[in-house]
This record gives sequence, structure tokens and C-alpha cells, in this order.
Amino acid sequence: MKFILNYIRKDEWSPYVAGVLLGLVGIAAVWASNSLLGASGAFENIAGMIGKAVAPAVFDNMYFNFIMPPGITVGVMLVIGIFFGGMIGAATSGTLKWGKKDSANSDEQWKRIFGAQTWKRWLIAFFGAIVLEYAAGIAGGCTSGLAISGGMLLAPAAFLFIAGMFVGGIPTALLIYGKRF
Amino acid sequence: MTNFIIALALGVFFGFSLNKAGLTKYNKIINVYRFTDMTVLKFMMTALVVSMSGLYALRGLGLITFPNVPATYIVGNLVGGIIFGFGMALSGYCPGTAAAGAGEGKLDYLIPGLFGFLVGAVIYGLTYDKVFPAISAIANYGNTTMPDLWNLSPFLTILTFALMSLLLFYLIDRVGWQRKGSEQ
Repeated sequence: MKFILNYIRKDEWSPYVAGVLLGLVGIAAVWASNSLLGASGAFENIAGMIGKAVAPAVFDNMYFNFIMPPGITVGVMLVIGIFFGGMIGAATSGTLKWGKKDSANSDEQWKRIFGAQTWKRWLIAFFGAIVLEYAAGIAGGCTSGLAISGGMLLAPAAFLFIAGMFVGGIPTALLIYGKRF
Repeated sequence: MTNFIIALALGVFFGFSLNKAGLTKYNKIINVYRFTDMTVLKFMMTALVVSMSGLYALRGLGLITFPNVPATYIVGNLVGGIIFGFGMALSGYCPGTAAAGAGEGKLDYLIPGLFGFLVGAVIYGLTYDKVFPAISAIANYGNTTMPDLWNLSPFLTILTFALMSLLLFYLIDRVGWQRKGSEQ
């Protein structure tokens, strides 16, 4: 018992142990609610909700009416859960520093490559998020909704997506890191 | 209502596992693309082995049915993945890890991250009919799985995947198939 509690308090687990936990969560999603995990779809639900409130005419299209209906969906609840899960995880290891928590631009590796400026990190984070969300739309899901959820059902789509992630990610890392790759 | 509570609970455990695996850190994400830290791959493949074994076993026992399987349309899955990999290597997160990192109090994940995902969602939703129908029509196999598509035994498919994963873990952890980058 003490061992388990001490392990929960650790900042970083073995990826194998954390992976088993995620695998069980994936099974539980299907068993308890006949649904899959996902994250990128939730942002589309919220974007549609805001869009329809602000500019209903612009957002009155097939996508926001039928494909990804706006509103607080099960997917949105899942992402809210992920938010609190991250919070609880950090709290158990004493690394929760709300508002003062180190952003990526205080990561030693990030600093050596991009520098410590916050505006630069925020700009890249913003641009990256746009790219990620758009790409997830084309692919049919993100790391959780397609790679994990599709993979556990043995959907070929998931493995094509994972292969694509490396085909896109490796040259990007090479380009950013150059000699320091 | 019940589904909302279940989703919230699932999310909490999901986010917790992302935090404990260290995937809410910039260097964990970027370094998998440099092959200097394969945590992301170990985490994902372990999760896949566990969940695919469990799901196919439970379905075999008649305890569950599968939800809608994500659709396979080769060019779209692949091109989407390539652009996604670019975004991930650049930003050091993905939608799920950004949500978990935001919960830890990382403001760059919470503010420009959330804002960017919403902007990306708007751009996608407004260009959807010009992009998606065309790309998803190419080599579309529908909501299929590998055992169904190629008439494979699910058991042997999963066994093969599990053995491949174990071999890969062995090569990474014991044989030293992990690079030592000049930038750690």
C-alpha cells in the first residue's frame, strides 16, 4: 500500500506503467459508454458553439450543423476531465504551480533552441495549435481520437496516422535543431 | 447525464496518465522525433497492446460491441498525420497533452494553446466542404479494422503487434537503439 502511494507521488512514472493505465482507460471508455477517447473534436464543438453565437450566418454550414454539432458534448466533458486529470497528476507529485507553472520556454532544451522569451513560445504554441487542429480534422482525429482509439480497434487509419506523424515530425525536428539534432 | 459523468471520469484518468508519463513536457514530445527519448512511443504502444487485447477479448466474450471505428482513407489519414507531426514537433504538444498541461498550470498550453485549437477548428469547419470530401474519397475503405479488411485472425494480429512492441522496447531499453543527441 505504501509502495503504491509513494509511486503515485512520483513526478514521472515508467511509460509502461502509465501506458497500462491509459490502455485500461481506453477499454473502460468502450465498456462503460460505448465511446472512444478523443480530444480534437471537443474544440470543434466549442468553436461551433461560439461561432453560432457570434456569427450565426457564417457558421450555418454543413460542418457545424451536421458533422460536428456545436455545444457541450461528451467530448467536451472528456477534455475538461483531461484538464483536471493533469491538475491532479501534478498535485500528487507536488509540481502543481498554478499560474506560476513553468511554461515550455523555461524548459532547458527549448531555451537553447528558441530562447527564453515568452512571446516567442506563445506565438509558436498558438501557430502549432492551429496546425494540429486542422491536421486532426483532415486525418479524422488526433493522437488520442485516432492513434490510440483507432489503434486499439486495429483500424488501419490509426497506423497510417502514426506513420504520418513521424514522416512529418522527423524533418521538422531536423529543420529546427539543425546541427544540434 | 450519466454519459457526461463517465466522460469526465475517463478524462481525469486519461489526463492523469499523460501527466505521469511526462507527456505534458516539451522535451518528451520533441525528443521522440529525434530518437533521443522514446517515452511517447513506449507509452502509446503499451496502451495499445493493453487496450486492443482487452477490447477484442471482451468482444469475443460478447460483453461489448465496438463503437464506430475511425474511418480509413489512406491519403487523408497519412497527409493529416504528416501535418500533425509538423505541428507536434514545432509546438511540443498535441490537443490531449495540451489540455492536461493546461491543468498543471502551464499558461502557454492554456491560453495560446486553447485559442489556437479553437481558431484551427473554425478554419477547418469553414473550409471543410472544400477539403474533406475530396481527400477522404481517395482510397476510402470506410470504418474498417485490419482483421476485417484482410481477413486476419484478431488474436494473431494482436499477438504480432504485442511481440513487435516487446521487441522494440527491448531494442530501445537494452540494445541501445536510442540516440544520444547533441542536445539533451
